[in-house]
Amino acid sequence: MNQNTRSLLALTKASLKMYYRNKGAIVFSLLIPIALLSIFGFLSKGRGTSIQIGLTNHASGEVSKQFIERLKSVKAFNIREITEEEAAAELGKGNIDLQVIVPENFGTMESDKPLASSIQTRFNSAKPQSGQIANLAIVEIVSNLDRQLTHSPSVLEVKSEGVSTNNLGYFDFILPGILSMTIMQLGIFGVAFSFVAMKASGALRRIQATPVHPVYFVFAQAFVRLLVTLANAFILIAVGTYFFGFHMVGSYFSFAMVCIVGILIFLGIGFAIAGWAKDETQVAPVANLIQLPMLLLSGIFFPRDGFPSWLKSITDYFPLTYVSHSLRKIANEGVSLVDLPVDFIGMGVWLVVVYVFAVRVFKWE
Amino acid sequence: MPVILEVINLTKTYDNDVHAVKGISFSVNRGEVFGILGPNGAGKTTTLEMIEGLRSITSGDVILDGIKTTDQPYLIKQRIGIQLQSSAFFQNLKLTELLEMFADLYGSTINPLELLADVGLKDKAHFLVKKLSGGQKQRFSIATTLVNRPVMVFLDEPTTGLDPQARRNLWDLITQIKSRGTTVIITTHYMEEAKFLCDRVAIMDDGKIVALDSPDQLIRQLLSRGFKPHTEVPPATLDDVFIDLTGKTLRD
Repeated sequence: MNQNTRSLLALTKASLKMYYRNKGAIVFSLLIPIALLSIFGFLSKGRGTSIQIGLTNHASGEVSKQFIERLKSVKAFNIREITEEEAAAELGKGNIDLQVIVPENFGTMESDKPLASSIQTRFNSAKPQSGQIANLAIVEIVSNLDRQLTHSPSVLEVKSEGVSTNNLGYFDFILPGILSMTIMQLGIFGVAFSFVAMKASGALRRIQATPVHPVYFVFAQAFVRLLVTLANAFILIAVGTYFFGFHMVGSYFSFAMVCIVGILIFLGIGFAIAGWAKDETQVAPVANLIQLPMLLLSGIFFPRDGFPSWLKSITDYFPLTYVSHSLRKIANEGVSLVDLPVDFIGMGVWLVVVYVFAVRVFKWE
Repeated sequence: MPVILEVINLTKTYDNDVHAVKGISFSVNRGEVFGILGPNGAGKTTTLEMIEGLRSITSGDVILDGIKTTDQPYLIKQRIGIQLQSSAFFQNLKLTELLEMFADLYGSTINPLELLADVGLKDKAHFLVKKLSGGQKQRFSIATTLVNRPVMVFLDEPTTGLDPQARRNLWDLITQIKSRGTTVIITTHYMEEAKFLCDRVAIMDDGKIVALDSPDQLIRQLLSRGFKPHTEVPPATLDDVFIDLTGKTLRD
């Protein structure tokens, strides 16, 4: 084995061991983003987009069963079977959007001829949209059943298909944001503090006393941090998908590519700070000065549309804006990498700027 | 005796016009223990670090094992072992893992347990460095300088801050390194240590070497100049009393 490869491998192995034995840091690096995800996840779950229906069925025939089955198959409906009085009360409180009453004679036959019968619906006039939408769906179901019973062919029909991109909730917006935040914080804080500690304690100087240039150690550290951050990103996406129904519209590959570029940018910032600083006390203020504006103004928690135009045009150039914007475009709209030229040029420029700057300010002791 | 290290007119001047080392010259023989003594700020550590290639040289030359150190700094580091004054190591790594890592950095193959046994730390092999006592840390630090079987080791104040037992234990270790033919340069504040360990010592003050000879010779020269000790020197020291009462065994 080539000596440089052997040195790099030895330092990478050591860096990996140092990382995974630091259990506290691992837990904390996951705890905060997962807590944030959970808060936003439960918030957007509570808001629920489904339409609440209170159903009272007086009929017992086959047709009424079919009707209820079809009603229940509509995903947007959340159906509770309750009595008429209860439903009326719930409707008054605004807990249900629509009350549906199936009469006793619904779908019954008299000498092979279906009896005329009507389903009664009542909706909350204060929330007309959900009620009317639900009403339309019910009208559609009923007229289908009607045609079945009267054996009249259907001539006109509407074909529609669900497009998932139109169906995204706030959680789908927030996950790429929290992921970008995690990438930034692991890059800047994770590296800056641990690396400057090794510098201040003299552990880095001990490497300088060997024939290996300490830049190998920087590479080893960067590689381990890249792996660790990718693993964290994977865990966050898994948690978001499994527990809170995160929708990935685009490709995971593109998503991962943006993550990697983002990690490299923020690692560069972390190493620049660690390389410039003499000890931990210098790291905290500088790291915060860099990350706080990005955390608040890069649109990771809320869209930047409401910003005054001057602020928006400044924040357009933040590295975290490019990262979170492209992650969001991929995850929410399924945009491919080639359709994000502005973000990629922005990230490319930052990548170069950050590393040139890091090399300039870096001091080994 | 053949010379292994030659220092010629070595000078260190910092940007703020501090003259840390003012053109010193000396040579070290192969296989000897060479001491550099002097008060704090005399330039001992700066001198060592310039020889090792850890600090840039303002002017002057260092020839180590026939190589001009500034020409081939990495080759020099490959052949020497350096113990730094503050012996810090990566956190969360076991002694054996650190030794293996250092061995890899030099491209050498070692038996970590054997090396730890040499410095009396075999039973601590799977400990983390932060679990070691001061004396154990220094012995481990010396072990890391031996992974590449160096021709010369540099020990910068290895016994500072240690209790008398640990210090004497370290003397044994250094004697053992010398007995294998490795040249040792050591800096220290302790005169009895220099007298016990060193074949020759250089005494530095204010960036210059003010005396260089064997400890016995230096004492003889002082006496021949008519020096009278301030007090009657007893044949034993308080150090001897301490060791006699508390024993030679290590407490760490």
